[in-house]
Amino acid sequence: MSETANGTNGGDPIIRCRGVVKRFDDFTALDAVSTEVRTGEVVCIVGPSGGGKSTFLRMINGLEGIDGGEIVVDGIHLPGSKKDIQRVRREVGMVFQSFNLFMHMSVRENLILAPMTARKIGRAAADERAERLLERVGIGDQIDKYPSQLSGGQQQRVAIARALAMEPKVMLFDEPTSALDPEMIKEVLDVMVELAESGMTMLCVTHEMSFAREAAGRVLFMADGQILVDAPPARFFSEAEDERQASFLSKIL
Amino acid sequence: MSFDYNMILRYYPELLGGAWVAVWITALSLACASMIGAVVCIGKLQKHGAANRLATAYIDLFRSIPEIVLIIWVFYCLPLLFDIGIGRYSSAIIALSAYGGAYMAEIFRAGVQAVPRGQVEAANALGIPVFHIARRVVVPPAIRRMMPALVNFLTELLKATSLLALIGVSELTYVASTLGSKTFAYMEFYTAIAVLYFMIIFPLSVYARRAERRRLRRTGN
Ligand SMILES: Nc1ncnc2c1ncn2[C@@H]1O[C@H](COP(=O)(O)OP(=O)(O)OP(=O)(O)O)[C@@H](O)[C@H]1O
Ligand SMILES: [Mg+2]
Repeated sequence: MSETANGTNGGDPIIRCRGVVKRFDDFTALDAVSTEVRTGEVVCIVGPSGGGKSTFLRMINGLEGIDGGEIVVDGIHLPGSKKDIQRVRREVGMVFQSFNLFMHMSVRENLILAPMTARKIGRAAADERAERLLERVGIGDQIDKYPSQLSGGQQQRVAIARALAMEPKVMLFDEPTSALDPEMIKEVLDVMVELAESGMTMLCVTHEMSFAREAAGRVLFMADGQILVDAPPARFFSEAEDERQASFLSKIL
Repeated sequence: MSFDYNMILRYYPELLGGAWVAVWITALSLACASMIGAVVCIGKLQKHGAANRLATAYIDLFRSIPEIVLIIWVFYCLPLLFDIGIGRYSSAIIALSAYGGAYMAEIFRAGVQAVPRGQVEAANALGIPVFHIARRVVVPPAIRRMMPALVNFLTELLKATSLLALIGVSELTYVASTLGSKTFAYMEFYTAIAVLYFMIIFPLSVYARRAERRRLRRTGN
């Protein structure tokens, strides 16, 4: 066991990235990114638009191919076979800025589809899990509604519950509150804080600095396809060690 | 000139028989066209490679030949080319299916591509197997979106069956023309079949229009 950046003991590394490269044609979106995330750690990723944050998250669960280096998630190596990619995706949940709920399915159906088809668990167990998770994110009474009948904040909480229904070991969040009206941001952040406190390993791209301060053990600053800063939140927000970080902080704080 | 209703009353079994032939040929052709269309659509959805080029060629070919030419070609030329016999009804179904396949492929593709990318992305992120993504995530909203186009195409196909009179398939138009030449009551029989076609096709058009309006109201796109 080694010390994590914020001084708390982390578990073993569950995500290891070594020299990860991503190219779109001749544009290099990720330029040799290396980092580790330990079990139970909460890591926030911030940085200017186009810096590669989304691309990085999407590579961790195989939504984008890898052009160089390697990502190891819970012992599974990427790039890997289709089967490996599916295995990684089952262990890594993802929450998107635009919710991406299945609009033609009820909330319940949204939550049971993946466990039943990707984990092959039975209908009764899937139902029970769906009900429990919706209670946990505070919308147990909405289970038979359709996504279009819910507010943005409720939809995003359904999306979080849908990802949790796969019982993932890691959760990725890509700007989960950026599409929400201000009055709904808190209800989603509260769920994320509760999740962090329960010991979930989380990687969050977010511009909610309150969340980073409250819940994160580390903050990564990404720009131009590189991780320029990796620091605990207290230090990250108080003393800039990079020029681009300083200009970024001056804009958001 | 007077309109002789008795002609229609006397020959209505033949007329209804013709309508029935038009309907089942349409149904069978639509079923075959859907299968061809599904395969061609899958080919067309591949971003590159031979499958995409083949599918594109198929669509371009059959959308550029008038149905009537296709029907005559399948009945008269295809048998000569391959030295085989193809009956009237088989020719009719082959020609309409080939023509319909090209249109169905485009209808399917429009439906599938109208499903927002994020839906498939989310399903992938959850690790749902490809087969289940297609069946549960993509196909149901795609079908809902393409219903109006599909019903519109169904009406086109029904109208196209009237061309089969040219190769002697005894569908509605053929029945009217043979009854006409037998009794010289052309006006009565062509009026009768015009009404029959209208009674079959108009409700479908109304349905398609309503479905489209409903969809626009619900989703706004
Ligand atoms: N599919 C793609 N094809 C081509 N270029 C892409 C693609 N996806 C991302 N990029 C490019 O890669 C770079 C990094 O994009 P990415 O979305 O990861 O940035 P980001 O840090 O998430 O930005 P934002 O804060 O705006 O979400 C951008 O310059 C973007 O234009
Ligand atoms: Mg992004």
